[in-house]
Amino acid sequence: MTNMNVVGKRVLRQDAFEKVVGGKGFPVNVRLPGMLHGKLLRSPYPHARIVRMDTARAEQMPGVKAVITPADVPQIPYNPIFFMPVTSAGLVRDMLILSDTVRFAGQPVAAIAAISAAIAEQALQMIEVDYEELPAVFDPDEATRDGAPEIHAGVKNNISDTPSFAIGDIEAGFREADHIFEGTYETPRVHTCYMEPRVCVADTDTNGHITIYSSIQHLFGLRERMAYALGLSVSQVKVVQPPYIGGGFGSKLDMVYAEPLAALLSARTRRPVRIKHTRYEDFITNARHPMKVYLKTGIRKDGTFCARYARTQCDTSAYASQGPVVIMVHAHYGLMLGYRSPHLKWEGKVVLTNNIPGGAFRGYGAPQACFAVESQIDEICEELGFDPIEFRLKNTPRRGDPHPFNPEWKLDTYALDECLARGAERIGWSQRARAGSSSSTKKRGIGMAAHPLWVSGCVGFPDIYEHSGAIIKLNVDGTANLSSATMDIGSGQNTVLCQIAAEELGLADGAVLMSPGSTDTLPFDAPTHASRGTYSSGNAVKVAAAAAKKRLLEVAAVIMEANADDLEVCNGVITVKGSPARSMSVADVVKRAESPYMVIGEQGPAPTVLEEKGTIMGLSSLAPSTNPSPAVAEFVEVEVDTETGQVKVLRAVYAHDLGRVINPAAAEGQVEGGLQQGIGFALMENMLFDPESGACLTSDFLDYKMPTAVEMPRHIESIFIESNEPSGPFGAKSLAEACLIVPAPAIANAIYNATGARIRSLPITPEKILKALGKL
Amino acid sequence: MKQLISLEVNGDRHEIAVEPDATLLEVLRDHLGLLGTKQGCDSGGCGCCTVHIGDRAVYSCMKYALSAQHQKITTIEGLGADGKLDAVQDAFVREGAVQCGYCTCGMIMTAKQLLHDDPHPDEDAIRHGIAGNLCRCTGYHKIVEAIRTAARD
Amino acid sequence: MALSRLKKFCIPENSHQVDDCVAEYGDNALILAGGTFIRGLEVRGLLSEVEALIDVHKLGMDGLVSGVGNVRIGAMVTFAALEQLAELHSAAWLAAVRDALACPPLQIRNMATVGGCLAASCPFYDLPTAFLALDGSVTVSGAGAQREIGLADLFVSLFENSLEPGELITELTLPRPPGRSASAFIKLEGTANDLAIVNVAVSISVDAAGVCEEARVVLGGGVGDRVVRSATAETVLKGQQLTHEVIEHAAAAVGQDIEPMADHRATAAYRLAMAGVFTKRALNQALSRLN
Repeated sequence: MTNMNVVGKRVLRQDAFEKVVGGKGFPVNVRLPGMLHGKLLRSPYPHARIVRMDTARAEQMPGVKAVITPADVPQIPYNPIFFMPVTSAGLVRDMLILSDTVRFAGQPVAAIAAISAAIAEQALQMIEVDYEELPAVFDPDEATRDGAPEIHAGVKNNISDTPSFAIGDIEAGFREADHIFEGTYETPRVHTCYMEPRVCVADTDTNGHITIYSSIQHLFGLRERMAYALGLSVSQVKVVQPPYIGGGFGSKLDMVYAEPLAALLSARTRRPVRIKHTRYEDFITNARHPMKVYLKTGIRKDGTFCARYARTQCDTSAYASQGPVVIMVHAHYGLMLGYRSPHLKWEGKVVLTNNIPGGAFRGYGAPQACFAVESQIDEICEELGFDPIEFRLKNTPRRGDPHPFNPEWKLDTYALDECLARGAERIGWSQRARAGSSSSTKKRGIGMAAHPLWVSGCVGFPDIYEHSGAIIKLNVDGTANLSSATMDIGSGQNTVLCQIAAEELGLADGAVLMSPGSTDTLPFDAPTHASRGTYSSGNAVKVAAAAAKKRLLEVAAVIMEANADDLEVCNGVITVKGSPARSMSVADVVKRAESPYMVIGEQGPAPTVLEEKGTIMGLSSLAPSTNPSPAVAEFVEVEVDTETGQVKVLRAVYAHDLGRVINPAAAEGQVEGGLQQGIGFALMENMLFDPESGACLTSDFLDYKMPTAVEMPRHIESIFIESNEPSGPFGAKSLAEACLIVPAPAIANAIYNATGARIRSLPITPEKILKALGKL
Repeated sequence: MKQLISLEVNGDRHEIAVEPDATLLEVLRDHLGLLGTKQGCDSGGCGCCTVHIGDRAVYSCMKYALSAQHQKITTIEGLGADGKLDAVQDAFVREGAVQCGYCTCGMIMTAKQLLHDDPHPDEDAIRHGIAGNLCRCTGYHKIVEAIRTAARD
Repeated sequence: MALSRLKKFCIPENSHQVDDCVAEYGDNALILAGGTFIRGLEVRGLLSEVEALIDVHKLGMDGLVSGVGNVRIGAMVTFAALEQLAELHSAAWLAAVRDALACPPLQIRNMATVGGCLAASCPFYDLPTAFLALDGSVTVSGAGAQREIGLADLFVSLFENSLEPGELITELTLPRPPGRSASAFIKLEGTANDLAIVNVAVSISVDAAGVCEEARVVLGGGVGDRVVRSATAETVLKGQQLTHEVIEHAAAAVGQDIEPMADHRATAAYRLAMAGVFTKRALNQALSRLN
């Protein structure tokens, strides 16, 4: 894979030029003529039944154009998540656009459209609602006890799902063990904190067709859910693709109440309706599922695993939503399959509570698992005297092994060993001191964590969409427009896709431009999630580019009187292989293809060649054939103030086998941003709620703390290992999510190395450290 | 009851009627169509809405429009000249400091004041200087780099 | 926006106009200085009764004077403007103010005012802790009269001050301490953009022999419903050589004078422990500045 002109280069992001001067393309900027503003009335109670609702006073308020209550809304139960067919047998459909029953504090009960947001807000206070309060339960342990409040009719003990799987004979496995370790590891409810609020504008025409603009990670998912929940057919909903959105990190992978409500308000008023969340509304819309993982591991004397048992309790909150799906990804790709063991058993429990809905968040169940697994491995190594790196290599899959999730796939490119070796060298692993050996007040420590198995998209996952599509169209100036329904949620994915297209087409850096479309004009695409953008969408783009290039060379062959197979294209110039003098620019070929058949020349009209006519373009729509695993290891150095319990992350070295780096700057950005989220998850982020009312106490950035530039390490090093995955575009596989999966356990292990304190619940607050040190 | 006010933004004077509780942020976005200034939290916690009053960076979500009269207000749209990017904007593009881009304009406005006060800030000064601006994508690494680059150039 | 009852936004140009607005709206008029506190209270529904905002930025009150016996700071001096006080960067006795000024983010420093942050009576702020440690007092005017209030008497409880309706803080006075003096301020925070979980400011004066003549130990954050002085710790320090043991002893003593609260940011036990740790650190910092 040599001689690449565009792939592997630090190509500047096209969207950055627009974003530094204002970023007009954000959905939050969409304004349509005659647009109204919607606001949602939200329940103050976590569990209640609406006995009476009187909207008369609100409707009479000047400027109010429509009020919608549960009685005005189709009562079609749906599941909001985008990436599975809405009718999938694997989904629980237990949500309504508006319902008479409220199951979390902040659930909408009515919606208003008015000529201004301020009037809509004031009108909300005019709606009279009588609630019958119902007993609420917030703690998943309490929710599963007999006699706990029933949150959804017929769901016994609020247990929504109890998935499990086993390989071998777990009891026999533990009998073989020379050592057994067990522990319980807990992770909190954390928010993605995308910076652009959820916002949508819905515009319904008199035929009942809805056009919607929204800050989302999946165009077709929103179309499918909107149509289903509103009882429409999909062609009646058009989702317009924004050129970019202000972050998502998973949170924008499901339909929120605002979208169908804006559509209903628009239908009622025949005007466009915009609904924008406040930051409080964003916080209570969805969050990472808190999990409690019990992990029991049997080890042989030689340091290999012989039995691994785990149990996970997942608080899926007021609605099943993502819970039953996230727990499966958590179990397979997070907990159980990354390390080899002849005997495995896992049991899960998805619990309903009156907490705010669980949602997707970068890593989708894996950060919760990785914290448990990688912490416990560190405990094992400390206790039994194994080197954590050698120990991991004894137990992880090796290059060439069958893929643990699907043995038909092979781990042909898999360089965990190199990640571990190079990361260790850069952090200075061999100089690492014994845990807790420092005698000063501020103690330094080094820790690491790996994530041996992860995804490049969702091929092989039950009922999860994975195909992507692309349209590439060449222009007479030698450039090309690329369109795809995939969303760049900030990672720079569009730039990477343009690089892939340019490389395949033989165009120069910058010659391929991304052009947004809509669900009406673009081929289906799975969402931007599961670390799939570069790999899956990249594959589709490369195939479309190859198709366009094939046509380009066919036309060139006619003009150049050559055989298409003898032509090559590089940097916008087509040449006959071996005869560089015989060349023609791509622009000239496209001009000929786009020109009229009869061309007026000096001698008057003359015919050209009919076979060369037509726009040169390429299309694709396909799913990848396999799902290669990246391999990841992160090393961090921390300093712990043992008087205050405060932790500073001083250095981070992140090593990742991603197959091929398409754009080094964008790839580093994933690592650095993932670390910010990972440090937050490890040390400070935690959504807290009033134990009585269920009201969110951390619904702005005064109370929900995430790292600022000051809390981030000065030194972040990204090591990319290019194993050249044959199924990926130019050898690429995935990157994005792993960057947030590994930091928390690496930091926890470094804190142990510094202080000897082992904290098994996140976030590792200063108080937890002082308690563990016996100082509080 | 609306009040008529006069605001000078990016050198242009605007006469507008606003509610007494209107913030500068609302006026910039909803009355003047200056959409580069972003609303992120409405409580002075994220920095997306940072603009300059005089040469001082402020949270426009915390500034009442009526209080901002008779002062020179600069938004992201007021940076750069002759169709060219300002040095800080340019450095953000070149250093890869822009990801989703929603924090970017506020971050740039803060960086502008930082460099105005101290043309050669060290890394610590840069990091503390942007502590009132949150970013969820970049880990701030390339943002710090971009501000350093802008200081060098 | 959440000030749903706001009817009037006054920008008075003299004190009579302030009085007029206060006369009309009484308790439902709120003085607006830098404005950085209002949003937080507003979002939490604590200002739902406010009908008039009185923006006092045209009343002057922005003087900054290094006087013979004191430093006087106008109420409308922003934190950023206060940073321009030359003496702040050299005088050890003022160092606590310098330390505290470094904490808030740039945008807040540009907006927030000295008078506003005192009138807010918010124990989670940084500067009031430092000002109380420097024995600050405020000049207050209203209804044609003027009076002085020591900061300890200004802070009544959480978000509540001792000002009468219509009274305005016009100036803060920090008296120059006798002899060799130094101060320090340290804050415990979750991130660099956070209100204090605990903060401590100390001011010490020693004689030629190094014996502590005067000591003020002040704690803020969630250690009470207002910023509090630790008389017990001060007693431990006064008349002593400030040895490691004396400082440890004083730090341990602050617990007797505070009532830490528990909230979602920290437990009471942690605040109590940190009050001691940060008192020790602040004292050591101040001591290092004496030399």
